[in-house]
Amino acid sequence: MNDIFSLQRFGWLMRKILTERTTQILGTIGLSISITFILYTLARLMQDVSVAQNASFVLGLTLGGSLVASIVFGYFGNNATGASFLTLPASILEKWLSGILIVGGIYFFIFLLCFRLIDLAFVLQYHNSLNPSLAFYKEQYDAVHIFSFTGFVASTTYLLLFNFSGLIMLGALFFNKAAFVKTAFIICGIMVGAFLFNFLVVKLLIKNTQIAIPFNIVWIQVGDERTALALSPQNAEKIIFIFRFVLPAIFWSLSLLRLKEKEF
Amino acid sequence: MIRIENFSFGYKRNKLLYRNLELTLNPGRIYGLLGKNGAGKSTLLKSLTGLLFPSSGTVTVNGFCPSHRKPSFLRTIYFIPEEVQVPALTINTYVRIFAPFYPLFNREMLDTYLEKLDVSTDDKLTRLSFGQQKKFIIAFALACNTGVLIMDEPTNGLDIPSKKRFRKLISAVMNEKRILFISTHQTRDLENLIDQVIIVDNGELLLNEPVETISQKLSLKIVGEDDIDIPVIYEEEVLQGRAVITQNTDGIESKISLEQLFNAAAENPAIVKTIFAT
Repeated sequence: MNDIFSLQRFGWLMRKILTERTTQILGTIGLSISITFILYTLARLMQDVSVAQNASFVLGLTLGGSLVASIVFGYFGNNATGASFLTLPASILEKWLSGILIVGGIYFFIFLLCFRLIDLAFVLQYHNSLNPSLAFYKEQYDAVHIFSFTGFVASTTYLLLFNFSGLIMLGALFFNKAAFVKTAFIICGIMVGAFLFNFLVVKLLIKNTQIAIPFNIVWIQVGDERTALALSPQNAEKIIFIFRFVLPAIFWSLSLLRLKEKEF
Repeated sequence: MIRIENFSFGYKRNKLLYRNLELTLNPGRIYGLLGKNGAGKSTLLKSLTGLLFPSSGTVTVNGFCPSHRKPSFLRTIYFIPEEVQVPALTINTYVRIFAPFYPLFNREMLDTYLEKLDVSTDDKLTRLSFGQQKKFIIAFALACNTGVLIMDEPTNGLDIPSKKRFRKLISAVMNEKRILFISTHQTRDLENLIDQVIIVDNGELLLNEPVETISQKLSLKIVGEDDIDIPVIYEEEVLQGRAVITQNTDGIESKISLEQLFNAAAENPAIVKTIFAT
């Protein structure tokens, strides 16, 4: 028998997880979509549609993805479920893939579908609220359009999702109790640490640094003016490539390794 | 067959719980693992199921290395932890999603075992009491027909009639191909069920002997205050006088309770080891 991957066994595993944890998985997905809808509505009440689209997409997808990532390997808060998951006759690769499929497949596409529906409703409502007899009707109409899933904001959000969910999955396999909270604190710590470290290094090199956003941009004060030093397009591309592909690949691979080495 | 060779394990690198443990478990026997709280019973069971990895040495279960957690190994072993948790599913749904992983699973057997353990519900398993949930898991594990069945404190949470049913069922399902390894500190629950007694303390194997050998080598007597002339391994006050465990020198076999045996081994490990080494 194939001890690494069997499609039939993977099918049984997915069916088992989705049947056994329907409430948890669908509940978390439903919660993140509800939060997205509320955020969209609140942002729309205060700002224009594009701000609402961006804010709700970034927060909804990233936060929801992190929450779902925290439950896919969240078996270890309890002796019975932890032992049952690890001793279930499925391979380590299949167990890991089940988590990847739920976060990177099921959650991701359900979120995109629901976001599209929410967005469509708001955009339609905006378009219908315009008066065609007004002078700037066309400009106002064209100013708002459906959120692009291939645009800059979406691409950056995918990057955040795959990095954060990779880290959260890894955390769920490292910590048995309150894994999400502990991992979230570590992520915050890493982000603050990276920000401060980056700022101190840049400050040593450029004395009049005002703010230095890690791996992206440095704002400096020149006389009364404030100006930005951005990375060269070539270097920026490399950094984006690292954040978009290399880091998520590292985090997700580490979670496979951790699952293999997990003792409980 | 289960072989544990030169097995060392510690939760902390500099503090080993087990050091160079040697143990062999053969099919067709029910092994009872006894030990105090924290003696390392669950640790040993988890090492056999691949939940914990040895710091050094090897563990093999029917030729497999448990820590690799290969599906071909995992489908031949079933581990019931002390605490069980069932999903919010009916028995039929539970069987539909879990049974395919165990090729020798038999639904008819499950129904029979459930009947024998007096578990019956069309509702979700989570609506059952803890004891009923545990009995369901035991019945399911037995119906999986795995070659190795490992149970950590299986009678915890069971009421008195259920404990009796459990013993009866375990005796009935035992066959020459199976290894049943049961850890407990409720020795009376497994009296008359165990074929071989394993006692561990502080990560050390104090005793690993078949029940028959124990009866041949140790003797239980009820005596008066000064009514004994050979060294006493263990004694306790009983209504009739003093119950003492001594080396069996007259060849007359007597029944020793697991509790008394455990106390004897825990209080005088060196003497017990010497007696069984000969």
